Amino acid sequence: MALRAARSVRAVTSSLWAAAGAETPGSLVSLAATPVRLRAHPGPCSSPFLAAAGSRGLCTSVLRLTVRKFTDKHEWISAENGIGTVGISNFAQEALGDIVYCSLPEFGTKLNKQDEFGALESVKAASELYSPLTEEVTEINVALAEDPGLVNKSCYEDGWLIKMTLSNRQNLMS
Amino acid sequence: MRKKLPGLCTISLLPHCTPRRWQGVSTGSNSMLIPFSMKNCFQLLYILKVPTAGLKNTAKGGLILQSTSNNIYQNLAVEDWIHDHMNLEGKPILFLWRNSPTVVIGRHQNPWQECNINLMRERGIKLARRRSGGGTVYHDMGNINLTFFTTKTKYNRMENLKLVIRALKAVQPQLDVQATDRFDLLLEGQFKISGTASKIGRTAAYHHCTLLCNTDWISLSSVLKSPYQGIKSNATPSVPSLVKNLLENDDTLTCEVLMESIAAEYAAYHQTDSNIILINPTDETVFPGINKQAEELQTWEWIYGKTPKFSVNTSLNLLSEHSYSEMKIHVDVKNGRVEDCNIDAPDHWLPQEMLDKLRTRFVGSKFCQCEATVLINALLRTYPKDHELYSKWHLLCEKVKTIM
Repeated sequence: MALRAARSVRAVTSSLWAAAGAETPGSLVSLAATPVRLRAHPGPCSSPFLAAAGSRGLCTSVLRLTVRKFTDKHEWISAENGIGTVGISNFAQEALGDIVYCSLPEFGTKLNKQDEFGALESVKAASELYSPLTEEVTEINVALAEDPGLVNKSCYEDGWLIKMTLSNRQNLMS
Repeated sequence: MRKKLPGLCTISLLPHCTPRRWQGVSTGSNSMLIPFSMKNCFQLLYILKVPTAGLKNTAKGGLILQSTSNNIYQNLAVEDWIHDHMNLEGKPILFLWRNSPTVVIGRHQNPWQECNINLMRERGIKLARRRSGGGTVYHDMGNINLTFFTTKTKYNRMENLKLVIRALKAVQPQLDVQATDRFDLLLEGQFKISGTASKIGRTAAYHHCTLLCNTDWISLSSVLKSPYQGIKSNATPSVPSLVKNLLENDDTLTCEVLMESIAAEYAAYHQTDSNIILINPTDETVFPGINKQAEELQTWEWIYGKTPKFSVNTSLNLLSEHSYSEMKIHVDVKNGRVEDCNIDAPDHWLPQEMLDKLRTRFVGSKFCQCEATVLINALLRTYPKDHELYSKWHLLCEKVKTIM
């Protein structure tokens, strides 16, 4: 059963990377349409997708997959209880290098899809962050003020950037 | 400084990429048609000097632009404009610019930590915040700024710095200059002559760097020293370095000579026309909307208001004709404004009610000497009667201003 699960995760992962080359800005790529319960393999950035994609990362125990959507600019958004959490992908945090500062919006800021909502400064450059949705900011990750490196260490978990309302489910699906 | 070529003619290209194949040209003495490529139009109107032997179009592999302005805000606005509006696919751009005396801080820096704001104000030295990351630098006409615009995929700082090194060595082959892994350029292994910063956007990126030819280093070292004590901040700090002017090594290394050499090297590397195109950053016909961008860069909200949250915790001596005391002051500053303020003066030195009044007035105001002066003067007018009280109050207010 673990092997069947691994095969479906690989198929999903290759569709992610294929879609990441999409030209349409802001298109969201949906992952894990079929709920597959697998436990994450530990790593510096616990990306379940990359852990499963590499054969050496795969273990016989079960990996947990979160339903997460990606933009072609390597931001992700995951939905839970009407709140969307936004972060950047492992690919993006690796490309940026060590992050030294996170500039995030204020609580209550209303963002339009593709609006610039902040920036991450790394040893590489100041890189802008673009909103994946037209929604309101409900929370920002204050831990990043003291430890911006959390984005590198845990881009899918503790290194989340902002949370937004999900007033319109259609927004997430489009 | 442009290369003067024989048989010059002037052509002007229309903005907004109207698909014209041929553009009529008049030189005064003879007219000629210059074929105009329909591909890769730029939303840019410029005056171009080309030899009548006729290059087909200006920008085969790229463009070299030089600003006619020495205004930091206008030049930073050019960077923003090119980054936001131009298609850099297969057409990288080099932008050369110099500024009148200015201190430029990085996007996420704290000017109170990085420089002496009041000294700069006295000397008429401007302060600007750029949109790229990195540390604080001092610009004047002895410093060249170079901006390399590329697509995101072609972003490569080391390649750009190697180009600069080749250009320097083309003028002075014996020059000992290397790039570090922090993307600085070091002269003789120890003196920083160039610092780098960058910005990456949706599809485009730019890498800009300074080059110290003949900067007023006395002014540089005095304004880049912060007198403000007790600041606690998570803003990105600068890494101070020993600097040196290239001209001290070799008096042929002037700004003009180096800009020409860098342009030639860039043109050779990108197989492009080595003509430098002069641009006026205030020309709305060339850069629609640019003046608004330049204005935004000059606002208090951008320069000071974008400072990451910080606090000031310090003691101030209160030496008056009657007494000596110490007071502790704590200020929290967010978006450049006082979020909270605590003044801990010795018991009975001043009525608590007066301290509370000062505190209330400060909260919400800009963390700025000018604004503090206005508030304080208004408050002082309410306490004219008692001389001793007035002079203590005045002293306290003057001391509080010194932390801003």
